Amino acid sequence: MIEPSWVSALSALLFIIGLGGAFTRKNAIIVLMCIELMLNAANMQFAAAAVHHGDATGWVYTIFAIAIAASEVAIGLAIFLAMYGKHESISLDDVDVLKN
Amino acid sequence: MAGSSSSEVILDSGMVQYAPLIILLPMLAFPVILFLGKVFNQNPFWKNTLKEGGLIALPVMAASLIVSLLLIKDHIGGFSGIKDAVNLLWINTSVWDGGVLKPVTFGFGIYVDHITVMLLFVASFLCLLINIFSIGYMNTDPINDNRNHRFYAEFVLFCSAMLGMVLADSFLWLFIFWEIMGLCSYLLIGFYYERPSAAYAAKKAFLTTRVGDVFLIIGLVMLWDLFGSLDYDVVFNSENIAVVAAKSSGTLQWALGMMFIGAVGKSAQFPLHVWLPDAMEGPTPVSALIHAATMVNAGLYLVARMFPFFGAESMNGELVDLAFIIALVGGITAVMAAAIAFVQNDLKKVLAYSTMSQLAYIFTGLGCALYLANTLDWHNDSEAHYIVIVAFGAALFHLFNHAMAKGMLFMASGSVIHEVHHAHHHLHHHGEHGDDHHDDHDDEEFDAQSMENMGGLASKMPLTATAMLVGSASIMGLPLIGGFWSKEGIIANAWRVAQDDPRFLIPALCVLIGAGMTGFYMSRMWLKTFAGKPNNEVAAHVGPTNTWIKIPLFTLTFVTLSAVLFAGMGFTHWAPDSEYGFLSEKNLFEGIAYEMEHAFANHDTFFLILTYVAIAIGAVVGPGLAMSLYGGNLAEGEQTKPWMRPVIRLNSWVYGRFNFDNSSIAESGLTRALEQRLYFDHYYDMAMLKIVAAFSKKSAEVDSLVIDGAIKKIETGSQSLSKLIRSFTTGSARDYILMISVGTLAIFFFLWGMA
Repeated sequence: MIEPSWVSALSALLFIIGLGGAFTRKNAIIVLMCIELMLNAANMQFAAAAVHHGDATGWVYTIFAIAIAASEVAIGLAIFLAMYGKHESISLDDVDVLKN
Repeated sequence: MAGSSSSEVILDSGMVQYAPLIILLPMLAFPVILFLGKVFNQNPFWKNTLKEGGLIALPVMAASLIVSLLLIKDHIGGFSGIKDAVNLLWINTSVWDGGVLKPVTFGFGIYVDHITVMLLFVASFLCLLINIFSIGYMNTDPINDNRNHRFYAEFVLFCSAMLGMVLADSFLWLFIFWEIMGLCSYLLIGFYYERPSAAYAAKKAFLTTRVGDVFLIIGLVMLWDLFGSLDYDVVFNSENIAVVAAKSSGTLQWALGMMFIGAVGKSAQFPLHVWLPDAMEGPTPVSALIHAATMVNAGLYLVARMFPFFGAESMNGELVDLAFIIALVGGITAVMAAAIAFVQNDLKKVLAYSTMSQLAYIFTGLGCALYLANTLDWHNDSEAHYIVIVAFGAALFHLFNHAMAKGMLFMASGSVIHEVHHAHHHLHHHGEHGDDHHDDHDDEEFDAQSMENMGGLASKMPLTATAMLVGSASIMGLPLIGGFWSKEGIIANAWRVAQDDPRFLIPALCVLIGAGMTGFYMSRMWLKTFAGKPNNEVAAHVGPTNTWIKIPLFTLTFVTLSAVLFAGMGFTHWAPDSEYGFLSEKNLFEGIAYEMEHAFANHDTFFLILTYVAIAIGAVVGPGLAMSLYGGNLAEGEQTKPWMRPVIRLNSWVYGRFNFDNSSIAESGLTRALEQRLYFDHYYDMAMLKIVAAFSKKSAEVDSLVIDGAIKKIETGSQSLSKLIRSFTTGSARDYILMISVGTLAIFFFLWGMA
């Protein structure tokens, strides 16, 4: 049995990697992947906690989160397609239509 | 609504449930006439057959009169305490009262008692007659073409408001209808809004009455504070009055005093009288209806409505000062307005000042009646009861007589003006007016209302002259005719009170002198218009008037002459309490005999002498002076109706025998002051300029510096703040992610700290 704290540490590490990626990268797809990474970090924490407490609620949350993440990806990709159609680029530096 | 006390008798009249129709019918006719007039303007059917709405208003007013008469029939013969009420629920709400929510019902209801009955008849009857008159007057004048629908629409709205005010069952509704009347008065005075003088007069009337209305609303709020309601049922309840009297009778006196100021404004009494003469800028039917016969009575109605407060046993002697103020304002106005009427040359202005003066008589009468009700133990002492109802009835009866006579006088003056105008028009357009002088024949300069352009019309317009003669006689108080009965009653009661309280000597003297002054100015008006020789060619070419105008003149002449019958019925309020009341066993002739004896052969020597002094002053001295100064015989070959011949003959005899040169008086400073209406307008204007304008200027400064400044500060501040906030929104996804994570962290640490 792995110590829960190790799992927590791993998920925290994954989360920070995801966050750092989301901050630094400008390719929208990579930013989206980083966000997925952060979500999965959270899922891992849920799963670990479920095992630790012997409670199925955590598993259920994980399943939900994965389903939501999937739909989120679909929407995100659709947005990038539209963005590409308009700006000929999916670099986040090229879009600031919400400025001011 | 609180229950009424057991001593009150509530008549169960079937008609009272139809009473709302009296108000609703004209109220509904108002948009109908306005809308149809807009759509069918200039349509020949609308114009000639429907008289631009006049014939829509006519059946509506007739229906109102019929319902009113049926309602009155059930109630005639009742004095205080006998009433009928119906409530139509309007809205339920709650007010916060001392920590608890108290339910309050604002309902519209009908309240019918002896005061209502009197005014209801006056208002609905005159509304109908003046409607008939309007058709003859407004629709024959080309200047009104295509806009008479506006006149009739505002006319029916006014009638609706007047009848509503009379029938309403609470001071709140009285106030609402009161304001609607004010609005209609404003609109109708300004009917010829293209004339600057009419627009000015409308504004002046509206704003002057507004001064009174502000006080009225203050009084109503105070009354609400005392009673927790404005419903007559609650505020007139003797137990409620007793509770208030024990707690704060002084406050009640102030509240009623404030309401009285409202009445002063509406009834054009000193010092808020300045609007009434200018209000004559409106069309003559408006002057007749609103500014002589009905709306100006609203103030009197309000004061008469205060009777239960003055009459309550618990308030005995507490409201004497207010009663004195009411009588005093009346007394001062009676003399002042009569004096100004001496020198007016405009026919309608004379009548306007006469209206003011006669309303003042009624105020004096009410003041004295309220004094008597307040001081005498009339609940238990039957003799005192009789004195109180006679005094109160005399005032209300004068209201009745004055409304009838003055409505008639205005209509007659309107018909004179109308015909003089026509004659002038006719001459002017046919070039018959010869080439000798007459500069005043130019359209701009010719004044059809000036008595200088009349004279000798008695033979040209016999019915109008007769109506005017009877009306003048009624206002003057010539024995046996109309106003005589009530005016003698008011004078006698003023002196009765003066014996009790010497302060009342001032109003008592004023009304006695005023009787003579009335005799003078009314005679002067009649003689200058109808007697003597025509002053110019226009007056010589005046023709008789049309049928629509004749009907109301004839009717009102009849009503005024038959006032002796009403007096015989016990004008003392159709009171069953009075032995000679309408419903008593004594028949009409006994009643008239009693009135005659009471008036001419009073057992009390003081009142006997007073009666003859008043008659001598009002019916001999005043008219005699006027006769010696104005008029004379008719032109050669002119004949008049047999009943006017003695008047003309007497006049020419007095004129020939006693004529004297009054130029020294006519040029004196007092006359000039009177011609300038005692400089009231001058000083009011000056006060406006000095005080109000200066105050407005200061307010404008404060407005631009403080209020505008503060708002500008808020505006610039919020703009720079929003600029700052705007700089956060960079549009870059990265920054948003940063903000979200920082925010989440902050919330996390916050929750952690909490835990």
